[in-house]
Amino acid sequence: MRSPLSRRGFLAAGSGLAAAALPALSGCSPFASADSDPGTLIVHTQLGTTAPGSPTYKAVVKEFHAEHPGLRVKNLVNGDDLPQVYETSRLARKEPDVVMVNLYDKTLAWTDVGATVDVREYLDDWGLRERVLPAALTEWTDGEGRLRAFPYFATNWPVAYNTALLERAGVGAVPTTGDQLIGAARKLRAKGIAPVTVGGNDWTGQKLLAQIIQTFLSPDEARKVYASGDFSGSRGVREGIDYFVELRDAGVFADKAQGLTSDTMTTQYNTEAAAIQSAMSSALAKVPARTAGHTAVGGWPLAPGAAHDKPTILRSYTLIGFWISPNGVRKISSVEKFLRFMYRPEVVSRFITESGRDMALVTDTVSKDFPLVAEAQRLGDRVGQVLLPDLHVPPTATQPLITATSTAFTRGTSAAAVRSALEAAYRTG
Amino acid sequence: MKFGRSWLPAHVLAWLYAALLVVPLYYLLVSAFKTNDQIFGSPFALPTSLSAHNFTEAFSSADLGSAVVNSVLVTALALALTLGLAIPAAFAIARTEGRLGAFVERVFSLGFLVPTFAALFPTFLLAAATGLFHTRAFMVLFLPATAMPLSVVILVQFMRTIPREMEEAARIDGASTFGVLRHVYTPMCMPGIATILLLNFLTFWNEYLYSLVIIGPDPEQRTVQVALPTLKSLTGTDYGILTAGTVLTLVPVWAVYTVLQKRMQQALVSGAVKM
Repeated sequence: MRSPLSRRGFLAAGSGLAAAALPALSGCSPFASADSDPGTLIVHTQLGTTAPGSPTYKAVVKEFHAEHPGLRVKNLVNGDDLPQVYETSRLARKEPDVVMVNLYDKTLAWTDVGATVDVREYLDDWGLRERVLPAALTEWTDGEGRLRAFPYFATNWPVAYNTALLERAGVGAVPTTGDQLIGAARKLRAKGIAPVTVGGNDWTGQKLLAQIIQTFLSPDEARKVYASGDFSGSRGVREGIDYFVELRDAGVFADKAQGLTSDTMTTQYNTEAAAIQSAMSSALAKVPARTAGHTAVGGWPLAPGAAHDKPTILRSYTLIGFWISPNGVRKISSVEKFLRFMYRPEVVSRFITESGRDMALVTDTVSKDFPLVAEAQRLGDRVGQVLLPDLHVPPTATQPLITATSTAFTRGTSAAAVRSALEAAYRTG
Repeated sequence: MKFGRSWLPAHVLAWLYAALLVVPLYYLLVSAFKTNDQIFGSPFALPTSLSAHNFTEAFSSADLGSAVVNSVLVTALALALTLGLAIPAAFAIARTEGRLGAFVERVFSLGFLVPTFAALFPTFLLAAATGLFHTRAFMVLFLPATAMPLSVVILVQFMRTIPREMEEAARIDGASTFGVLRHVYTPMCMPGIATILLLNFLTFWNEYLYSLVIIGPDPEQRTVQVALPTLKSLTGTDYGILTAGTVLTLVPVWAVYTVLQKRMQQALVSGAVKM
């Protein structure tokens, strides 16, 4: 029996294939080149595909290339899994030079453990401090005085009211008190319209819950509560949870809110199935023109005896910032060129006008094509502001807290059970 | 063959089961032509337009072209390596009658006991130590290691059913051990080989966690399963584009399944008869 392919031939072919293919698959890693190639800046970013601001980011990077022909920016794009991927890269000492990600959850610990460097001196040396809003610098600075990253994106987080739906239900004005909100919810439900839509099963629900809980809390008290996870210790926090439970059981939130997500929330509002949503700027930018035309933005209604004198919103300056890695320090002159470029007023303005983003930098530009984003920017002192808990919640409790949120939005759950679920999130984390 | 009334419940159940499988596929396919509002507003309605916009957007935004090429490379080479190692290993175990053969077979079976997630960190350390972190080469070597237990166990069972006389006849014709493997055992085990090819193809193609951590997010190297989630955004996902991207990545799976399904069904049926 004669084989067309002998054993020797078979083994030779196999070895040849392995010899040719494997080096080809292992060579020229861009991460390896991050150490060796000063002409390439590796940027790990959440912008680049369909995230709000991605088209503008890609366009300005192209502009940067045209201006700096000897320096190439190579973008590595990840979504929600970026922190995990960056951390493993860092463990292998093959991390990218610059990371563009929010200050949230895992990233809160990065500067502390040396995964990224303190950028305070770079900000001053490059003369960029004046470009950053003071509130943004405060939020990005840790307890040791280290600036975690160069602030870039911010967000207003007001409440959007569909005035046409409110009118159709017989609600004359945007509610500013809890009683008015409960009354409006009853009238809306009578017309078959969901009142407040919220992603009770994700971060949007967690933020709204935090906002309502802070009704009776000063910023300092709120900071303590969210840092310690003690939701029973003070009268203010107990009253805030009672207020939330009262609103929930009065039917203020959309049916089955405990199972809704941010996507269902925005869709319910955009399609006018619901009349009210608590929405950050990126969601406001996506409200279609016909709904945006009769949307008013404002704050969350207050209860009698609240610690605030005006309806509240959330504001955050800790969305995507530019973090510098230890590998990035080795190519700091390239990083400097890139960040100086990204901080230019005309580049910053493009993100506002083209993508409807709020910025953590000083700018006079206001969105024209995104009227709700602009309206939220103009709210100023007409609304009160509560604390975004992200910076104070221990990273290990962040995800369990979102799970506990779903319990809180489940009708019939008592205030004591809500407190217990929130406190358990800190223990399980 | 005529089916009487007694077959009616079986028919109903079979159609119900088929519907259960078809509904998610239908939902995926129609969503690929819709906007977010349409997907959430009327999830099962037919799309109002058959525009390819979502597909082109998904393809260009997530750079799916190079991701598909990378997935094909990693999957094909890993499959070749799996077959190259599993067939001779199974051949040796199937022909061994002593205790050593049984022991080696059990060692392979022990591979089933290692949970995928538990191996992640040691695998990461290995990749970093070998200098193969952030390369596709590591995955080409690693994936066959994970597939060996199932592949060897399936092939051993197939090879044990081949009569010894076939090998003896080949030996009389002057075949070497390699010749026996190549001209007797391998052709007769084609249904089994097709089965492990298909099962491993699905596993390798759909592998996400290790590809994400080991290969990383570099668009020049990342596989399609790592590229696809970049279409998801915490602050507002366009599910039309995401589902269109998912449909695009399913095309190779559908093509491979179409080619190999007959062989696999043959393997399953022949297994049933042997029982």
